[in-house]
Amino acid sequence: MAESTVRRSWKGIVAIGLLGSFLGGCSLPLGGRFAPSGARPFSLASVAEEGDAARRASMRLVLSGLDEDQALRPDQALSLYERALQVDPNNPFAYLALARHHVDGADPRRALAFLDKADALLAHSDRRPPGLEADLLGIRGSALYASGRIDSALPLLDRARSLSPIVWDDAHLDARELR
Amino acid sequence: MAAQRKKKDKTGKGRARRRELESRRARWRRVLRTIALVLLCSGFVAGWSAARYAIGVDRIVRERFEGRLFRVPSRVMSAPTILYPGLDWQRIDLPGTLVRLGYRKVGKGGALPVGHFNWQARKVRIHRRPFDHPSRAEPAREIILRLRRTTIEELRDARTGRELGALLLEPELVGAYYGHDHEQRELVRLEGVPLHLIEAILAVEDQRFLQHRGIDVRRILGALWVNLRSGRVRQGGSTLTQQLVKNFFLTPERSLKRKLHEAAMALIVEARYEKEAILECYLNEIYLGQRGSTAIHGVGEASWLYFGKAVENVSLAESALIAAIIQSPHGLSPHRDAERATGRRNLVLRLMHEQGRITQAELDGGVAERLHVAKITPEPRDARFFLDVLRRQLPDFYSMETLTSEGLRIYATLDLRLQRLAASVLREELAALEERYPSITSGDGASLEGCLVALRPQTGEVLALVGGRDYAVSQFDRCTQARRPAGSVFKPFVYIAALEPVSGGPRITLGSMLDDGPLEVRTATGVWRPANYDKKFHGQVRVRDALEQSLNVATARLAQEVGIPRVAEVARDLGIESPLPSVPSLAIGSADLSPLELARAYATIANGGIRPRIRTFEDVVDSSGAAVERQSIGFERVLDAGTAYLATSLLEGVIDRGTGRGVRAGGITGPIAGKTGTSDEERDAWFVGFSPELVVVVWIGFDEPRSLGLPSSRVALPVWTRFLQEATGGRLRGSFLPPAEVVKVDIDPATGALSLAGCPRRTPEFFLRGTEPDATCPEWASRRPESRRSRRDRPSLLERLFEEWLNRL
Repeated sequence: MAESTVRRSWKGIVAIGLLGSFLGGCSLPLGGRFAPSGARPFSLASVAEEGDAARRASMRLVLSGLDEDQALRPDQALSLYERALQVDPNNPFAYLALARHHVDGADPRRALAFLDKADALLAHSDRRPPGLEADLLGIRGSALYASGRIDSALPLLDRARSLSPIVWDDAHLDARELR
Repeated sequence: MAAQRKKKDKTGKGRARRRELESRRARWRRVLRTIALVLLCSGFVAGWSAARYAIGVDRIVRERFEGRLFRVPSRVMSAPTILYPGLDWQRIDLPGTLVRLGYRKVGKGGALPVGHFNWQARKVRIHRRPFDHPSRAEPAREIILRLRRTTIEELRDARTGRELGALLLEPELVGAYYGHDHEQRELVRLEGVPLHLIEAILAVEDQRFLQHRGIDVRRILGALWVNLRSGRVRQGGSTLTQQLVKNFFLTPERSLKRKLHEAAMALIVEARYEKEAILECYLNEIYLGQRGSTAIHGVGEASWLYFGKAVENVSLAESALIAAIIQSPHGLSPHRDAERATGRRNLVLRLMHEQGRITQAELDGGVAERLHVAKITPEPRDARFFLDVLRRQLPDFYSMETLTSEGLRIYATLDLRLQRLAASVLREELAALEERYPSITSGDGASLEGCLVALRPQTGEVLALVGGRDYAVSQFDRCTQARRPAGSVFKPFVYIAALEPVSGGPRITLGSMLDDGPLEVRTATGVWRPANYDKKFHGQVRVRDALEQSLNVATARLAQEVGIPRVAEVARDLGIESPLPSVPSLAIGSADLSPLELARAYATIANGGIRPRIRTFEDVVDSSGAAVERQSIGFERVLDAGTAYLATSLLEGVIDRGTGRGVRAGGITGPIAGKTGTSDEERDAWFVGFSPELVVVVWIGFDEPRSLGLPSSRVALPVWTRFLQEATGGRLRGSFLPPAEVVKVDIDPATGALSLAGCPRRTPEFFLRGTEPDATCPEWASRRPESRRSRRDRPSLLERLFEEWLNRL
C-alpha cells in the first residue's frame, strides 16, 4: 500500500514536471512577445550601456533628453534627442523617445512616424523584452487615440496594459517611466 | 549895394551848400536803409536756411537713430561637434576643430582659462566656453579627456570629477549673409561692456566725452596748435560723437564743408540723445579690422576676432589693445605687427593711468601682460553653395533683406568637417582627372565641373554640399539647380517597381531570370533599340547580374513589363521630383535629375523604405535669442522594408562584384551599396552610394554637355571612394540587416531555382517571405523522377526540405 502510494506520488511528480516542462517549452518560442501580464517595465537606462561607443553616447543623450522632458523642458529634450541621432542615427531608442515626446506634444502623426522607425530598427533586435513591447503598443495606441482613431487605439492600449499594467494602467507613458 | 549884393550872394551859396548837404545826407540815408534792408533780408534768409538745414539734419539724425541702427548679417552655424568616450578624435580632427573655434593652446600646469586647452600625449584639458544653442544653453565647463591612441577613452568634468557621457562643443561658423558693405558685427549693450574697455576708448579717443556737447573746442584748438607747430596733421580734434556721425552719415572726404556738417550733426545728436546711447552706438559702429574680406565693426565682434572671446570677458590689457587699434585697424592690427600693436596698447594704458582711470598696479599689470591673439579663422569659402541652398529652403519671409540685416542665427545641419573634406576632394580629384586624362578638357578649354552632396539617410540632414569646383568662378549649384540625364543610377527604381509586392505579388524575385536579348520598342518617334555599354547581348541573366553589370537591355525589357508609368510612380515615391518623361528610355536614365533628389531617393532605400524630408537647418533664432523657426525631422514610409532591403542587397552586389567594385579596390570595407551611372555619349558621370549612415552622390561633367570619353567608374567613383574613405576612416558603422519579411535561401545561380542537396551550384539569395522559388535546380530534378510530376503533385518546399534532411541522415 505504502509502496504503491510512493509510486503514485513519484508518478505524479514526474507528470507535473513533464507538464511544467511542456508548458514552459511551449512558451519559449513565443519569446516575450506574448508573455503573461505583469511583465517587468522596460526602461531605457537598462539598455544604456549596450552597443558600441556611439550607441552608448547616443543613449546618454536620450536619457538626458528624457530628464528634460520630465522637467517640462520639451525644446531642450527635442534638441538632445536630435543630438542622439547625430551620434547614432540607427538608435531605435532615440526614435522611441521622440515618439513618446510627440505623443505628449499632441503631434500624433509625427509620433507614429518615429514609432514606425523605432519598430523597424527594433525588428533586428535579438532581445525585445515584453516591457518594451508594451511601450511600443501603448505609444502607438496613445498616438492613434490622440489622432481620433479611438477604435484602433483602444485594443492597443488594452494590450499594453495587460503586458505592463504598472506602466500602462493610466494609458500614458511619461518620460520618467521610459527612462 | 555891393555889400548887399555880396551878402545876398553869400546867402545864396550857403543855401545851395545846405541843399547839397541835405541831398547827400538823404542819399546816405537811402544807402543805409538799403543796406539795412539787405542785411535784414540776408539775415532772414540765412536764419531761414539755417533753420531748414537744422531741421533737415535733425530729421536725418532721428530717422537713423530711431530706426534700425545697424544692419547685422545673419550667421549660419554648423551642427555642434559631440565628444564622447570611444570617439576617434583624430578622425574628427579635434585639435583643428578647437583651433578653428578660437581655443588657445597653452602649456601644462596652472589654471586653464575659459577658451583654452592643453594637449598632452594621453590627456587633454579643455575649458569649454559657455554658448547658447536654440533650445539649450551650455555653461562654461572644464573637461578632461583621457586618450588611448586615437580614441577618447574617458571624459570627465574637471571640477566635479564626474564622468560624462557626451559633451557638446559650440557650433562653428559656416558663413553669413552679407549686404553690399560686407560688414559683420556682434551687437553689445553698454552694460555688457567692461568698464575698463570704455575707459580705454575714452582715454585715447575722447577724454572729455562726458563734458563736451558734441564738439570739443579745447581739443580742436589743441590739435590745431600741434598741427601748426609740426606743419602737418598729427592730431585730430574729433570727438566720439563726431566720429560716429562721420561713420553714420558722411563720406570720408576731408573738406571744411564736411567738417562743418559733421560738427553740426554732432551738436544735434548730443542735443537729442543721452551720452550712454551715443557711446553704445559708437561701440557697435567703430571699424576695428578685417576677417578676410569681411569688415569687422564694433567691440563685440572685435573681441572675438582678436581674442576669441566675448567682450564681457576681455582683460584690461586686451581692452587697451582694442582701444589702441581704433586709430588704424589695419596698420596697428596685432595679427599684422604684434610689436607695434603692443607698443600702442602700452601707450593707451599709460594714458589711462595719466588720466586717473587706472592705478599704477593696474598699469604695471597691463603692460606686463603678454599679448595673446586668437588665430584668424576665415569663414569657410567652401560652404557658400550650401548657404544658397539653405536660403532657398527658408520660408519666403526670410528675404535677402531680412537675412542681411536682422542678425539672425541659423543653426544648420552641416558637418563642417565633411563639408571641408567634400570641397577639397572634389577640387583635387577634378584637377587630377584633367591631368590624368588631358583629352577630357582639350578643345574649347572649358573646365570639368562636379558636385558632391552627402546626406544622413535617416533624417535627411544635409551634411555636406559642394555645388561646383569654385564658387568664386561660378555660383551655379550643380547639386540642386542642375538637372542632368541620370543614366544607370535610375535603374534601381525599375527593379524596385518590379520587386515591390503590389497587387498580385512582385513581378520578379532576386531568383528570376531576365532576358538580355535584342529588344525593339515602338514609340511615337520610331523604333527604340536599346544597347548595352559593351555593345553585346547577354541572353538569360539573373536579376542581380543584370543590375550589377548595369545591363541596359534587360532593364529596359523589365521596365516594359512593369510599365513605365509604374516605374515613374516608384521614382516619385522615393523622392524624385523632376519631370519624368513617359518614354521607354526612362528605364535606363534618360530623365534629367538633380543630384540632391537622387540623394534623397537613395536615402529612402538606405532608410528601409522611409523617405526623409531634406533638412538643411534645425532652428532659426532672432537677434534677441528667441527661436523663430524650426525645421523638424520628417519622414514617411513609401516602400515596404522588405523591398527596400532587396534593393539594398542588389546595390551591395554592384559594389562587391559589379561596376562599382572600384570602391572595394579603393580600400573601403564594410556595408556599402551603390550604383554607377553614365549618360549617353559619356556626357555625365554619376556615382550614388550609401553606407548605413551616409548617402553620397557625385556628379561630374561639363556645364555645356559634352563627352567625357570615360565611364563613371573611372570618373565619379574615385571621387566618391576617396570622400567616403577620408570621411569615415574606412571604418563604417552598422550593417544592412534584413527585416523579418525577408528570408535567405540558397539558389542555383545558373537558373535561379532552389539549390538543394545534389545541386552543383549554390548561392544565397534574399526573397520576400512566400516568394521563394518553387523549382529546384535541374540536376536535383533529374535525380528525382517524381519531381517531374505535375506542379499540383509536386512536394511542397517543406516536404522537400524534410526529404533533404532525411537524405543527409
